[in-house]
Amino acid sequence: MTTSTTNKPVLSLPHCIVIIPAFNESQDIAYVIGEIHKHSNFPVVVIDDASTDDTIIKAKQAGAVVVPLAVQLGAWGATQTGLRYALKNNYSYAITMDADGQHLAESLPILLQPIINKEADVTIGSCTERGSVLRKIAWSLMKKVSGLRLEDLTSGFRVYDRRAIRRLAAWQATLLEYQDVGVLAMLQASGIKIKDVEVEMLPRRHGMSRIFYSWTSVFYYMSYTLLLSFTKRGTTHHQPH
Amino acid sequence: MVAIITSIIGIATAIIIVVLIRRDHLHVRYGLWWMSAAIVFSLLGLFPAFFDSFAKYLGVSYPPMLALTVGVVILVIKILVMDIERSRNAIRLQRLTQRIALLESDLRETQGKPREADNNSNHGELDDARHK
Repeated sequence: MTTSTTNKPVLSLPHCIVIIPAFNESQDIAYVIGEIHKHSNFPVVVIDDASTDDTIIKAKQAGAVVVPLAVQLGAWGATQTGLRYALKNNYSYAITMDADGQHLAESLPILLQPIINKEADVTIGSCTERGSVLRKIAWSLMKKVSGLRLEDLTSGFRVYDRRAIRRLAAWQATLLEYQDVGVLAMLQASGIKIKDVEVEMLPRRHGMSRIFYSWTSVFYYMSYTLLLSFTKRGTTHHQPH
Repeated sequence: MVAIITSIIGIATAIIIVVLIRRDHLHVRYGLWWMSAAIVFSLLGLFPAFFDSFAKYLGVSYPPMLALTVGVVILVIKILVMDIERSRNAIRLQRLTQRIALLESDLRETQGKPREADNNSNHGELDDARHK
């Protein structure tokens, strides 16, 4: 699985692509892409969610393929675009990472291991230490209402296999606004096995979260997620953990 | 009796909303609005005295009139919001159509031949046509 070039192990897995949804991330995008190239040989596709800065130019210069969205679709809409790109181009595995440097490319081997060992179809890089008290309360509430037994529901650091990509590229998933409860419930309902993998995460280098930036957006997000969690209850089979 | 009917309508609405979201027929964003409406209906049905005392407080002599007026005002606001969203969707759709047209003309120039319609391309799960 790993080959040694210089002194750093370079990760290689055939038919695997890294998807980075980005909105106004010109400050960090080049660094993030550079880190991925340093630790793996995976191609990187950046889905630009109608940024108003030079995210596209920076991403192209760093060697990524850029898919520029014509209208802003939000973080999940952009990620789904990437998954459709992966499906169309016959990739078997898709890794999603944030563009802000929170997720570390050196964690990729840990995140891919359960997939390579066929222990899981989807892995989620979870870091339960991150987040304020308020976020932790929100997460435990979401878990309780949805019945999902996973550590970090909101983490965008994930690996999807071909079946999961196919499922999430479907129109039912287009109805969703966020990638947490709705996406995970949909995967579990199709019998796709999801596994938590504990990884290290860094605080965002620049900018702010697209959910936790104002009280109204947090309120909307929480009401949205709780209603969705409630309605999707029982569609998922619980996995032994 | 009216109170019971009102609360039954509220509860029935709530159940329908849950089923619609569960079957992917309704966006949660709109589900939230309808859910709130359902809760208000149920509460008014269960506590009809609330509106009477509220009307008295405002100095309205005939409480049902207040209920109707408030209801109509809320509906008008909802319809206005829907039209604002429709306008935004119309803009998005038009920009999107223009962008595709521009891209297609670029493609034709680079490939030197007309591009086949989308339903011929092997996009696998691209069943967009099915959903509007």
